[in-house]
Amino acid sequence: MNKSKKANKRWLWQLLLLLSPLLAILISLSAGSLELSWSRLFAILLQGPGTDVEQVIIWQIRLPRALLAGLVGAALSLSGVTFQAVLRNPLADPYLLGVSGGAALGAVTALTCGIQSPIVIPLAAFVGALAALLLVYLVAQAHTCSSHTLILSGVMVGSLAAALLLFLLWRAPADATRQAIFWLAGNLSLADPDWLSWGWLWVAIGFLLLWSQSLNLDLLTQGEETAADLGLHVGRTRLILFTLAGALTACAVALAGLVGFVGLVIPHICRLLWGPGHRLLLPFSALLGSSFLIVADAIARSLYAPAEIPVGVVTAILGAPFFLYLLRRKGGGL
Amino acid sequence: MIQINNLCFSFATTEIFSDLNFSINQGEILSIIGPNGCGKSTLLRLLRGSLKPQTGEILWEETPVEKIPAREMARKVAVVPQSSAIPFPYKVRELVAMGRYPHRKNLLSFQDKADLHAIEQALVMADILPLAERPVTQLSGGEQQRVVLARALAQNSSVLFLDEATSHLDIDHRLELTELLVRLNREQQTTIVQISHDLDLAAAISQRILLLTEHGKIAEIGSPEKVMTAINLQRIFRVDVKVDSNPITGTPQIVPLINCSTHQLNGLKVHLICGGGSGKTLLRRLHLAQAKITAGPLNQGDSDEAVAAILNIPVAQEIPFSPFSENTLAATEKLIKKTDVLVITTQWWGAGNLPCLELADKAIQQGIPIYLLAQQQEQDYTNGKAWEKIQLLQQQGAKAIRNEEHLLEELAQQLNI
Repeated sequence: MNKSKKANKRWLWQLLLLLSPLLAILISLSAGSLELSWSRLFAILLQGPGTDVEQVIIWQIRLPRALLAGLVGAALSLSGVTFQAVLRNPLADPYLLGVSGGAALGAVTALTCGIQSPIVIPLAAFVGALAALLLVYLVAQAHTCSSHTLILSGVMVGSLAAALLLFLLWRAPADATRQAIFWLAGNLSLADPDWLSWGWLWVAIGFLLLWSQSLNLDLLTQGEETAADLGLHVGRTRLILFTLAGALTACAVALAGLVGFVGLVIPHICRLLWGPGHRLLLPFSALLGSSFLIVADAIARSLYAPAEIPVGVVTAILGAPFFLYLLRRKGGGL
Repeated sequence: MIQINNLCFSFATTEIFSDLNFSINQGEILSIIGPNGCGKSTLLRLLRGSLKPQTGEILWEETPVEKIPAREMARKVAVVPQSSAIPFPYKVRELVAMGRYPHRKNLLSFQDKADLHAIEQALVMADILPLAERPVTQLSGGEQQRVVLARALAQNSSVLFLDEATSHLDIDHRLELTELLVRLNREQQTTIVQISHDLDLAAAISQRILLLTEHGKIAEIGSPEKVMTAINLQRIFRVDVKVDSNPITGTPQIVPLINCSTHQLNGLKVHLICGGGSGKTLLRRLHLAQAKITAGPLNQGDSDEAVAAILNIPVAQEIPFSPFSENTLAATEKLIKKTDVLVITTQWWGAGNLPCLELADKAIQQGIPIYLLAQQQEQDYTNGKAWEKIQLLQQQGAKAIRNEEHLLEELAQQLNI
């Protein structure tokens, strides 16, 4: 009796989680410097896109932005889950293996060269991220090395990129520097809406491929030796997983800069709530990650409207206390 | 079934095995025993194909191990590792289910009936069914070890490798696991290769035992009666044992003869004439027994001198690589005068250390008891002078002692008188 009640409750939670991105988008659409009542919002949504001011704001500004936030949140959460499992390190996040440094270096190089094009900067960031990841692989010989070696090489490549970045910023004109810092803190308003559909396609493919590796991820959490004893090709699988996670991170960074915290903490929250099995953990993290970032962005936009707080500030202020609460309630079992 | 031919393996520059040859028969229980660090776990990993030998080959029914695909290998053999940290809070059942990985058909396949049956059976056999829904991170070390065992059982493999799988288990579950292994072996003809430090249990259940030396050589392989002899165990583990036969099973049973921790030499003053590493074991053992030790003469840089320095033992020192000078010998004589007993462990006699025996002679005149540790005529390079002196000492009452263990026993008696 008690058990079935518990099971019912869990289904309710999962249903809520499934619907959460929709709910988050609605919240995001109604929030901002122009306040809209819910009835007005639904009316505009029913009207479809148009030239009316409110229609433009909803359909052409807020909706793409919410979709971008969702994309970035999902991508970072997925990649955080993967890195934490494969490196068996609860502190791993999508930026651990030098990806953030590489992406930032790429984007800031483009910015300081005076390029303002909305097409070039994401591309530069994307290329930079993948280049950093490749460098880490080659240095650590990721096919055979231990995860500690990999983490250390990642941190080193990251530091190198950070040093080069500081040097570039020191040399750059003040205007470009300000723009670069804006980008480094994570920003969901820069992207060209045309990138959105491509980004979502990228994330969807990445998710499906990662999901197909759920069992392999489970095995890798047991350590390389045990995974090999159970019949897994550890080197090959790890390379596939890192490439997928790296590509997802690179995509998120290219479109929104360095949004912190999501990739570290969403996987933990999902693991605490639904256990570490990856068949559920991956989709749940993606859903929760995207809802979380959409809502965080809505708050960032509306709290001091028309000014915007950096979204990373909101994610940390919302996420950290909730995470600590869960940690205490569950007795510290990460 | 598994054939090991001319196996050589090194970690970087440290050679673990050179030219190892033996075979494992289908359906047997083989226990691998040997001192710490002799390469037992490495041997298992080589057999499994997780490590590649530099030369030599390992054949599984005529197929070289490196030619067998990873998942097929995991269906052939399951491994229960020494102990593994489990960082993520999987439920016990989920973790055991991972043992079915080598049997799954494709990337997304869910558990079928055979999987569920195997998992359930493994849970029951490892006695963890009541824990099935608990997160592994909340279990004790022994419980975790049984979970890992269950995962291996769920693999349904015909060969089982166990690397000290009973080390964390209480006696109840240790015996139960042993019973389980015997049953698997008898009913399903599972071949079992285990590393064990429980010699009695290994002797009780194994058809054959492989005894490795500290340098990764085969000291002996064969039936427990053949391998577990007092001489073999004394040679490999350097302890005196008596091998009895177990009154119930009739298999060899090992009884350590002396428990070294019982020797207490509180305050007994002992002087050691040692050198070249002959005294370092005794220095350590005497120190642990809380004797008041002095030593010398010793050259600086001698390995015995290094041990003495670390243990804060007063030493009559000589500069490196020189014969002992008048001063040093005089200092030694002073130390000897104050001592209760004199022990001579020096093994090699030459012109340089011959004067030490003169000091011993003086000591015995003063009535100080002398013990001579394992002296051999072949190690005398003074044209018989040293050996003659040793004989003379013995005639005057110096005692010849076989090994450190006996000496400690003698000294303990000395203290009681």
